[in-house]
Amino acid sequence: MNDPSSLPLTPKGNNNLQTNTNTAAKKLQAFQNSKFMKLLRPILGVVVSLYIVFRLYQVLVVHQEYGADTWTRLLISGLIIGGVYSLIAIGYTLVYGILFMINFAHGEVMMFGAYAGLYSFWAFKIIPIAGDPPTNFLNAYPILAIILAFLIGMTVSATMGFFLEKIAYRPLRKAPRLVPLISAIGASIFLQNAAMLLFSPQLRDVTNPDILRRGAGWTIVINGSNVILPYTGVFTFILSILLLVGLYILVRKSKLGRAMRATALDKKTAALMGVDVDSTISRTFIISGALAGAAGVMWGIHNGLVYYFVGFIPGIKAFTAAVLGGIGNLPGAMVGGLLLGIVESMGPAALGIDFQLKDVLSFLILIFVLTFRPSGLLGEVLSEEKV
Amino acid sequence: MKTLIRQSIRTGITYGIVQIFFILIAFNTMVGIMLAKISGIKNPGEIPAAKFLIAYTILMGLWVGISALSKKKFLPAGHKLLAGFTAGLVSAILVGLLELAMTGILVNKIFIRDFLTVLSFDFIKATLFGLTPVLGIVVTMGAIVLGSLLAVGLNIVTNLNAVQEHWKKDLSFLKNLNDKFQRMIRGKYHLIWQIVGISILAVAVIFIPMKWGSYWNYVFGTVGLYVILGLGLNIIVGLSGQLVLGYIAFFAIGAYTMALLNAPEPHNLMWGFWPALLLGVLLAALSGILLGLPIMRLRGDYLAIVTLGFGEIIRILLKSDVLTDFTGGPRGIQNIQGPMLFGKPFNSEVDFVYLIIAGVLLASFVYNRLQQSRTGRAWLAIREDETVARASGVDTIKYKLLALAIGAAFAGLAGGIYASRNQFTGPDEHALMASINVLSLIIVGGMGNIPGTILGAFTLKGLPEILREFANFRLLAFGALLVFMMLSRPEGLIPSHRPKYDEPNEVSGEMKKKEVPHDQ
Repeated sequence: MNDPSSLPLTPKGNNNLQTNTNTAAKKLQAFQNSKFMKLLRPILGVVVSLYIVFRLYQVLVVHQEYGADTWTRLLISGLIIGGVYSLIAIGYTLVYGILFMINFAHGEVMMFGAYAGLYSFWAFKIIPIAGDPPTNFLNAYPILAIILAFLIGMTVSATMGFFLEKIAYRPLRKAPRLVPLISAIGASIFLQNAAMLLFSPQLRDVTNPDILRRGAGWTIVINGSNVILPYTGVFTFILSILLLVGLYILVRKSKLGRAMRATALDKKTAALMGVDVDSTISRTFIISGALAGAAGVMWGIHNGLVYYFVGFIPGIKAFTAAVLGGIGNLPGAMVGGLLLGIVESMGPAALGIDFQLKDVLSFLILIFVLTFRPSGLLGEVLSEEKV
Repeated sequence: MKTLIRQSIRTGITYGIVQIFFILIAFNTMVGIMLAKISGIKNPGEIPAAKFLIAYTILMGLWVGISALSKKKFLPAGHKLLAGFTAGLVSAILVGLLELAMTGILVNKIFIRDFLTVLSFDFIKATLFGLTPVLGIVVTMGAIVLGSLLAVGLNIVTNLNAVQEHWKKDLSFLKNLNDKFQRMIRGKYHLIWQIVGISILAVAVIFIPMKWGSYWNYVFGTVGLYVILGLGLNIIVGLSGQLVLGYIAFFAIGAYTMALLNAPEPHNLMWGFWPALLLGVLLAALSGILLGLPIMRLRGDYLAIVTLGFGEIIRILLKSDVLTDFTGGPRGIQNIQGPMLFGKPFNSEVDFVYLIIAGVLLASFVYNRLQQSRTGRAWLAIREDETVARASGVDTIKYKLLALAIGAAFAGLAGGIYASRNQFTGPDEHALMASINVLSLIIVGGMGNIPGTILGAFTLKGLPEILREFANFRLLAFGALLVFMMLSRPEGLIPSHRPKYDEPNEVSGEMKKKEVPHDQ
C-alpha cells in the first residue's frame, strides 16, 4: 500500500508479459459479461411487463373484482396524495438541481409544518368569539383561520429550511458528496427527535374547521353506489395544483427564478454574471421549505394524524416521485408525484396484491425506473459537471 | 470594537436559542439529575434540587462565555471581558423572556402540555428554582452572566483557547497512534510485535468476558456485531465507494435464514446453527449480487436511494400479512435455537461473546487480506475514479459486484449470530435506522480502516448503552453529533492512511509530497 508501484494504475515495464495474458483472459470475460448484462435488462423488462399484463388481465377481465365505483374512489385518493407528494418532491428536485445532494431532512421540514398547522388550528379553537351561540375563531372565520394556518406552517418550514441550509449544508458545499448526505441524515435524526421531545411522541388529531370536516364531501353515484368526494381532498388537490403552478411561474418568469436556473446550470459562471449564489441557494431552501410546510398542513387537514415520524415516509416517497419524473425537472416532479400517488393507490388493486404492500410497489417502481430509464420519465435537468 | 460587540451579540442570541430549546426538552432537569447522582444522591426523583439546576445554569453560562471567546486569543483582557459579558447577558435576556412566558403560564394556570409536552406546572416551578417568579428569573439571568464571566476569568488565567483550538491536534494523536501501530506490526520486528500483540489480545479476550456480568457481555456482544457490520459496509462504501443505504436488509436475510431454519414456530426445520449460519451468509451474498446486477450503472446518490428502497421492501415484506405463514409476520420469530459446539450448547452471554469475537476476528482477517490484495487495490481505483479504473483495465462491474457480495456476506454472518443470540428476530429490528447506524459508525470512526470501525462501534453502540440515563436524548445527540462530525472532521476519528504519490519536482529534483484528492 505504501509503495505506489503496487497500484495497478501505474504501468511497469517488466510486467508487460503478464498483463498481456491477463488482458486476453479479461477481454473474453468482459465480453461475456457485457453480453450477459446487455441481455439481462431487456429480458428482465419483458418478464416484468408480461407479469404486469398478466395480473391486469386476471384482475380486470377474468375476476372483475372491483367495479367502477371502487376505481373512482382509488383514483380520487391517489390524486389527493399525489398532490402532496408533488409539493414535497418539488423541494427535493429544486435542491438536487442546484446542490446535487439529497436533502434527507426535507421530510422533517414538512413534519414541522404539519405540527405548526395542527397547533394553529388548536390555538384558533381556544380563542372564543362571542355570539349566539358562542363560538370560536376557528369556526367563526374558517377561511381566515385556514389561510393563517397555512401561512404559519409555511413560515415555520421556510425558516427551518433556511437554517438547515445555513448550519448543516453551507459549510460543506465543497466537500465530497457523501459528507453533506451524512450531515443531512444527521439533521433528519436530530429534527425528528427534537420534535419528539418538544411535542411528545403521541399521535395528535388535527381539529379541522367545521366546513372542512374530514369524511364529509360531495356524493357522486357511480354504478349504483355512493362515492364520496371529500371536501378536504378537493381542497388539498386544488391548493397543491395552485402552488405548483405558482412555483412554475416563479421559476420560469421571475428574476429569482432565472437566478436559480443559472445557479443550477453553473455556479461559477452564474457568480461571474452577477448572481449572488449563496443567497439564491438560501432562497431555494426557503421556497422548498415553504412548499413542504404547505404539504405538511395539507397532510394534517386531510389525513388528520400528526406525529414526529410523519414526514419520513412521505419524504422518501416524494424523492421517489422526483426521481420518477426526472430529477431537476419541475414538471417532472409534479407528474412524478401525481403518478406515484395514483400507482400507489390503484396499483395494489390493479395487480391483485395486498394493500399493505403499496410501499413495496412504489419502491419497486423506483428501482425499475432507475434500471430502465435512469433519467426519469421526463428527463433529468442537471448541469454537465456532475452527471 | 463594534464588530466584537456584534459578534458577541450574535453568539449570545444563538446560545440563548439553544438554551431555550434545552429547557423546552427538559434537558435542564436531566442534567440536574445527573449532577445530583454524581454528587452522591441515590434517588434524586423526577425533578432535582434547586442547587443542581443553578449549577446547570452556570454551566450553560460558562458554555456561552467559552464560545464567545473562541478564536479570540490575542484580545486584551478588557475586550475579552466585554465580549463574554455581552454574550452572556444577551442569552440571559432570551432565557429570561422564556421564563417570563412560563411564569405567565403558571400564574394564569394555562394547561399548555398539549402543545409543549414538558411544560408541567411542577417543571416550571423547578425551572424557577422553586423561588417566586421574579426572583427566579433574576437568579437564572444572574447565573448565566456569572457563568460567562467565569469563562472570561478562566480564559484570561489559563488561556483556555489553547485547549479548545487544539482538540483537532488531540484527535490526530489517535491517527498517529494508529500509524505507529501499523508501522510496528509491519516493521522490522513485526514477528515479535505480532506475537506479543496477539497474546495480549488473546489473554484479554479469553479472560475479560468471564469477569463481566451478563449485561456487559451483552453490550460488548452488540458492539462486536456492529463491528462485523461496519467492516462489511466498509468494504462496500469505504473501499469500493458505493453508497448503500439499505445495508440492514442483508443483515435481515442472515437473521431470518437463521430463524426460519432453527426455530420451532413456523416450520420446525431445526437444521442446527452452523449450516443455517453458512446458508445465511451465502444467501446474503447472493442477494447482494442480485440487487447489484440491475443497478450497477447508477450514480452514487441514486444507488443510495435504490438500496434504501430495497431495505424498506424487505422490511415491509417481512412485516406484512402476506408472508405471515412463512416468516411469522409482524410478530417475528421466537425461540431460535442457539449453536452447539462439540456437544456443548451455547446458553450464556459469555459463550456468545466468544462466538462474536471469533466472528470479528474472522471478519477483520478477511477485510485486511482483501484490502491488501489486488482486489482491494482495484476497489480503491474504482472509488477514486471509476472511468480511469475502467480505462486501466479494471473490470469495474465485476469488482463492484464482488464488493457488494462480500459486504453482504459479512452482514449475513452478523445477522445469523444476532438472531441466534437474541433467540428472536422481528421485522422492526431491520428498519432503516439500523442501516443508518451502521453507516454512521464507519463514518464517525473513520472510513476504510479496521481500528476506525471498532472505535466507531464503541462510540455509537457502546457509549449509549453506558449513558442509559440519557435515553431520551440519545438519538437527538446522535443526530447533532453526525452533523457536527461532518462539519468539523469529515474524515472520521481515525482517518484512513491514504497512499501518497511522490512526484519528483522537475526544478529542484526534490521529492514533493502530493495529497491524493479525496472525492467520492
